[in-house]
Amino acid sequence: MSNGLLPSRQLIGVTRFHWQQLLGPIVVVIAVSYLTSGVSASFSYLTEGALALLVMVLSLQVFIGNSGVLSFGQAAFAMVGGFASGLLTAPVKIKENVLDGLWEPLKAVNMGIWPSLVIAVLVGALFAFVTGLLLMRLSGLAAGIATFALLMVADNVFFNWKLIGPGPQVMPQVPKFAFVDESIVLTVIVIIVVYFFGISRRGRLLRATREDALAARALGASVWHLRVLFFTVSGGIAALSGAMYAHHAGAVTARDFYLGFTFTTLAMLIIGGASSLWGAVVGTILVTAIGQVLLVLEGGVTFGSVEVTLPNGARGLVIAAALVVILIWRPKGVTGGKEFNLPFLNRKSAAAHDSHVQRTDANMNIKP
Amino acid sequence: MIQTILDALSYGGLYGLAALGIGLVFGVMRLVNFAHGELIAIGAYLMIITIDLGLPLSIIIAVAGTAALALLMELSVFKRLRLAGPSVLLIASFGVSIFLQRSYEIIFGALPISGQIAPWMSGVIEFGDTTITRGSILTIILALALLAGMRFLVENTTLGLQIRAASSDFQTARLLGVRSNYVIGTAFVFSGVLAAAVAFVLVTQRGSVDPLFGVNITILALVGTVIGGLGSLQGAALGGFAVGATISLLNSFLGNYRVYSYTWLFILVIIVLLIRPSGLISNKAFKERA
Repeated sequence: MSNGLLPSRQLIGVTRFHWQQLLGPIVVVIAVSYLTSGVSASFSYLTEGALALLVMVLSLQVFIGNSGVLSFGQAAFAMVGGFASGLLTAPVKIKENVLDGLWEPLKAVNMGIWPSLVIAVLVGALFAFVTGLLLMRLSGLAAGIATFALLMVADNVFFNWKLIGPGPQVMPQVPKFAFVDESIVLTVIVIIVVYFFGISRRGRLLRATREDALAARALGASVWHLRVLFFTVSGGIAALSGAMYAHHAGAVTARDFYLGFTFTTLAMLIIGGASSLWGAVVGTILVTAIGQVLLVLEGGVTFGSVEVTLPNGARGLVIAAALVVILIWRPKGVTGGKEFNLPFLNRKSAAAHDSHVQRTDANMNIKP
Repeated sequence: MIQTILDALSYGGLYGLAALGIGLVFGVMRLVNFAHGELIAIGAYLMIITIDLGLPLSIIIAVAGTAALALLMELSVFKRLRLAGPSVLLIASFGVSIFLQRSYEIIFGALPISGQIAPWMSGVIEFGDTTITRGSILTIILALALLAGMRFLVENTTLGLQIRAASSDFQTARLLGVRSNYVIGTAFVFSGVLAAAVAFVLVTQRGSVDPLFGVNITILALVGTVIGGLGSLQGAALGGFAVGATISLLNSFLGNYRVYSYTWLFILVIIVLLIRPSGLISNKAFKERA
């Protein structure tokens, strides 16, 4: 019986280290980032934003993909990270003038972007750990609704409490990244972290709990411990994503990380394929590309003598439709939940791996 | 004080109706329908657009349109996801919800459309020195009438028997000859009718409708359905009532801190889920293996 998000009964997810599964996504991310950011300044800005989103999708992947538990709460940790990093780096003068209710020590502090990123990740991970200790007792729908409640609490608190942030206003004058390179480096680091957590012993045990919680317990796995660990890692990465977003946009508000953000990143993960790192990368690239084409069309484009203008809202419409279509016809996402694999490289070991998986499948299919 | 209690009761009744609509569908197919809010929104749009035809006709059009959209949702999307787990269904309904919101934005525009539906609802009645709004009393009456109607339908008719059977054990009900697609389709239609009722009350209160019209009440009603008890219709209605009444009471008693009423409400929700993960009134068949 599948207890979570992913259709069960087929073994998915990596078990052993294959260099191309790690290098493939990294090379693709670096290549696509430099190709698109080379086009123009506005494309460079777009690429930076997409990388922040990719980090968020990876944060969802490392928790949801491995545990099979649906969580809406990661956006709350992105909010924590974005606010932490934004508040720590904004000029003291600005904070004194604009954010009158802010806690004094927060007003006085000022640091560079890199140390603030480290603090943002730590604060996000800490929040995830503390909330995870309670929430990871739940599974299935109860976990989905409880993490959703966490998002609502975080949004409500950040939107109103001026002691810890700008409240309903915009947090302005957050220093921006100078180049797109910073975002690329951070994203590559996150890809490496997510990959190694996925193939680690604990990652494999967590996926075992996803497939059959009782059997995994019999192997000595504590579902709660494993989920708390991955929830914490995921929370830290989500906070990094929020911080990257703040330094990309140069400003941050509570509503940047609310339902729209949650929906977009979740859609990217599902469309790409929730059970693999490669799926997260493909989903983010695809959805960003489709969204960008539609955004241009919303502005109006002339093909020869025909002018095409899509109404505002077409972007969300198409992405939502894509999500539903994928869930119906290809529930494992466009990658099928598989990791990056070039058949002509490494043919022998990949083939051996595949046949092993198929045999196990046949065994598992006996009992529906 | 009387107004506070009446407000809590009418909020509770309204949210109970919304939660019952969600709970009906959840019971037969384990779908927590995020897109219920867009059913409420289409009801409100239809009422405001057709109000010139007169209130009764406008209400009939809204009820029929909302029920038709609910059925369309089931036939086009959820019917194809019969084998999916509850989390996949929840995400799919999230997608349907965003799809419909953007459709409304394209069709009706992003800005609110205003219209006066039944302005007498906002009038007040005076009892000595306390005044109470007609709207809150009518909401309570409407909620009680619909809840009683649904109760009769579910407890005393063959169709209701089938819905209850499908709610408590879907597979066995199917084996015993309950036509599953028919029962699920009917549940969607009734949930659409309940959504239209909620739309009527909300649109008389607010006097305008926009693409996000149904989002807030649906979030709270969804949570109410889940904490009330998965798969039990009384549980869903009671959970919705509890959430609505709590938010109304928090708004009255927190005074200047009422902006934080959502924080307290959702902390309560998390506590309830931690103590009783399968809801206050739980149904054995829906306990998930952890």
